[in-house]
Amino acid sequence: MRHLIYAASTLASGLGTMLGAAVLVFVALRFVPGGYADMLLGPFVTPAAREAIEKRYGLDQPVAAQFLHWLAAIAHGDFGVSMVTQKPVLDEFLRRAPVTLELAILALIMALLVGLPLGVVAGVAPANAKRSVAAARLVGAFGLSVPDFVLGTVLILVFSMWSLWLKVGGFVPFGEDPVLNLRTVLLPSAALALFGAALILRTTRDAVLRVMTEPFITAAVARGESPAIIVRRHVLRNAAIPVVTVITTYFGFLLGGAVVVEVLFSVPGIGLYTYNGLGNRDYAIVQTGVLLAACVFVAVNMLADMLYVLIDPRLAR
Amino acid sequence: MIAPRPFRFFADLWRRDRLTALGVATLLILLLLGVLGPYLPIGDATRLAVGPRLSPPSWRFPFGTDELGRSFLPRVVIGIRSTFLLSAAAVTMTASLGTLIGMVAGYYRGLADEVVARSADVLFSFPALLAGLLIAAAVGPGRITAISVIAIVALPLFVRIVRSVTLALTGRGFIVAAEVAGASTLRILGVHILPNIAGAVVVQFTYALSIGMIIESALSFLGLGVQPPDASLGSLLRQASVYLTFAPWLALTSGVVLSLAIMSVNLVGDAVRDALEPLNRRALT
Repeated sequence: MRHLIYAASTLASGLGTMLGAAVLVFVALRFVPGGYADMLLGPFVTPAAREAIEKRYGLDQPVAAQFLHWLAAIAHGDFGVSMVTQKPVLDEFLRRAPVTLELAILALIMALLVGLPLGVVAGVAPANAKRSVAAARLVGAFGLSVPDFVLGTVLILVFSMWSLWLKVGGFVPFGEDPVLNLRTVLLPSAALALFGAALILRTTRDAVLRVMTEPFITAAVARGESPAIIVRRHVLRNAAIPVVTVITTYFGFLLGGAVVVEVLFSVPGIGLYTYNGLGNRDYAIVQTGVLLAACVFVAVNMLADMLYVLIDPRLAR
Repeated sequence: MIAPRPFRFFADLWRRDRLTALGVATLLILLLLGVLGPYLPIGDATRLAVGPRLSPPSWRFPFGTDELGRSFLPRVVIGIRSTFLLSAAAVTMTASLGTLIGMVAGYYRGLADEVVARSADVLFSFPALLAGLLIAAAVGPGRITAISVIAIVALPLFVRIVRSVTLALTGRGFIVAAEVAGASTLRILGVHILPNIAGAVVVQFTYALSIGMIIESALSFLGLGVQPPDASLGSLLRQASVYLTFAPWLALTSGVVLSLAIMSVNLVGDAVRDALEPLNRRALT
């Protein structure tokens, strides 16, 4: 029962956040210069044509009514049509979502493989092991500092000179040829993974360091438990919450579409699609991309909030 | 002979913590370059065809020349200047605003606090670059877009930390004593609470500055931030990536300088955090 109440309140606050995001997106698009009619018809629009358009899209109604209409349409899955292709925007996004999902999952796996073990090792290392602590700090600072597009540019430079099995650009869908697909997405995922690896490393190290100072660790050592068991049973479990937080935050942002990396490597995911939407002044695409990204981020974090209770049941109280 | 104080400070730092010392030195050098850039004898950033196009690094052009025959070193220096200036300006404004909002929310609690916390959640849910696309659609690409995106990303960071520290402070004896003594709200916030959250704000500032620099350069890389003829490290990399295989030194120099700039801020930030907030007192969220 307690868990149900916790889940319901998490869900409610998540939906509230999504609504807030929708309001902001709606407000931002009202600042587009010229308004919708000028955008659609060009600068030489007659007053009659403008009026017709405004009537058709409900622009003559009060702002609040427009917002509610828009919200109701979204609730029915109608995110508008692309001005360029005249197709529903949502379909285009759903078609591209698997690509971004694949990038995000690969990047997360790489980041976890590097960040978690290094973070735990740096955290449990004895205080006099200065060298390993400094190494972890250097890797952490490096990963948080080299932007993904700088790393991506260097990767493109290196791998366009020596192919080394991997390919730069020329994306192939997973369903068509899984191996070729992997050869094209590994580089962009690696460019995305560096920041995540550093983030996970630092958070894990800090969390582990902090748990190591707790009296129950001293007690476990005094009982004569082996280091491996202490780390597995006491340290990792108690250090898990901040690590899960940072992993879900990172994954939520990855799912929103890695705009720069997708643009740099021409990976046809939702980030590149939204970016091209801006270039074509196709604002229905931009609006949908931002809103979907924010909602996915909130949804992932809601899942994380529910995960916390499984890790630490005390939190549901 | 006793060395002057700054040098002694640096020598001490070097002995205790080389990584931080390197970070401080790099940051100081880059800041000096950024401030003095236009007055240094390194050539003109805007004069066309001072050398051959896309020539590799040489004594005359240490970073080579770009596609218009401009010397690239002074352009990188200009880029350092605008990347630092833009991010620092945006983060400073956001830090002041976020501190004020966070303090008021944490002190008054109730409805105001609820609204502030929820709004911070909403802002936090926007991925930086997608928010950048939306703002660029609304107001057009440029500095305003870059500053707004940095503000959207950094504001919740400041509001959350300031709010939580203020919430923890409000019940404490010295605050209650001030209230009982009849101090005005302004005085309580400014004299009693602000000094106690300053450390947390400074720590968050360095963190936000490095994020701000990443965002600014990423937006400029996408062509949504600083516009030509002006240059930031991101927009230089954008132009350089066109000639990546013919003239890799353009992309490499601007990319490495950008990474070094962000890394020096991060290293100094780490040191500040370790000094102000020892690990056992740090909030892990």
